[in-house]
Amino acid sequence: MDGQRKAGFGVSDGSETTTMARFCDLILRFVAMILTLAAAVVIGVDKQAKTVSLQLTAALPPLRIPVTARWHYSSAFVYFVVVNAIACSYAAFSLVLSAVNKGKGRRSFIRSAITVMDLLTVALLFSGFGAAAAVGVIGLKGNSHLNWNKICDVFGRFCGQGAASLLLSLLGATSFLSLAVLSALRLPRGSN
Amino acid sequence: MASAEPESAKEAPLPPPSTAPRGGVNLSLVDFGLRFVLFAAAVSSVVVIVTSKQTVVGKLRGVPPGFPVQAKFDHSPAFIYFVAALSVTALYGLVTALASVSVIAKPNLSTKFLLHFAVWDTLILGVVASATGAAGGVAYIGLKGNSHVRWDKVCYAFDKFCRHIGGALAASLFASVVLVLLIWISIISLHARIRK
Repeated sequence: MDGQRKAGFGVSDGSETTTMARFCDLILRFVAMILTLAAAVVIGVDKQAKTVSLQLTAALPPLRIPVTARWHYSSAFVYFVVVNAIACSYAAFSLVLSAVNKGKGRRSFIRSAITVMDLLTVALLFSGFGAAAAVGVIGLKGNSHLNWNKICDVFGRFCGQGAASLLLSLLGATSFLSLAVLSALRLPRGSN
Repeated sequence: MASAEPESAKEAPLPPPSTAPRGGVNLSLVDFGLRFVLFAAAVSSVVVIVTSKQTVVGKLRGVPPGFPVQAKFDHSPAFIYFVAALSVTALYGLVTALASVSVIAKPNLSTKFLLHFAVWDTLILGVVASATGAAGGVAYIGLKGNSHVRWDKVCYAFDKFCRHIGGALAASLFASVVLVLLIWISIISLHARIRK
């Protein structure tokens, strides 16, 4: 009991706070699962086909070349989809584990393992977001120094859908972050 | 406490409560050491990427011979973000290394510090991981190119530049591993301290 008072975030007693914290934990896991699933799906169906007309000389009619933008043309997007899929399946698995791990026994080994894996998933999700965002910015603005042309002026819908998926993944990563912080804050309490 | 005894016997990976005070002091020394390592890794990563400027003449495809081309880290917004994020991490590592010295000096106030460490470490982990991912993504395109979008590779010409970028990325990856270890240490210390 002394230890609970020392922790100092103004919470008086264990039982009802623990239930609310567990409830928040389950809700956050469910939200994270939905968000990362949505992010993976939204970019997984991202495909745009356009016909670009190329004028070789003034005499000939312009050539119409069909070009397609697919998400798996970029390794960074592949990494992004893989990381979101891993995070979604981990969220589902840990949701089931957390929900089951309540009445009987209350194994804190499972809780510690989930906290550890939560941190790793946070790092993975943020790195996937960073990689996809960096490649997206290159596609949006180009890079004149390295002679990399922008593609978002041609493939507007592809870029817009990619941006939406990035936003969803960022929200999912933020909810995983809150989960990790919540686990760290809860761990001193939940050992009863 | 009697009802908590069977649970403490079941948890293999955590230290038993009787050795918590001594385990706490040792862990806070490890904490200080790791924070200093984090500071060193972040500083070295920033220094390595900032000194990566390279000028080549006549090796890059698509450039007329005799025309010098320069590669600097601030040619790409991802690398600029990387430098900013790792600088913030270096400053954070320094500040929390000093803070963990006070944890060693005054173990009574340590629980509040450990809680703050755990929360802020997680935020900084997100920042470092995203910076590593962003710089890694751009460096990968520079290394392998992307034929579908016609982004040509550049590392065959800018070898010193790409080596520096690779070194900085390795250091920041190491920094994120150190951050994960730090968060685990904070959680273990908190757990041992509360159970005492």
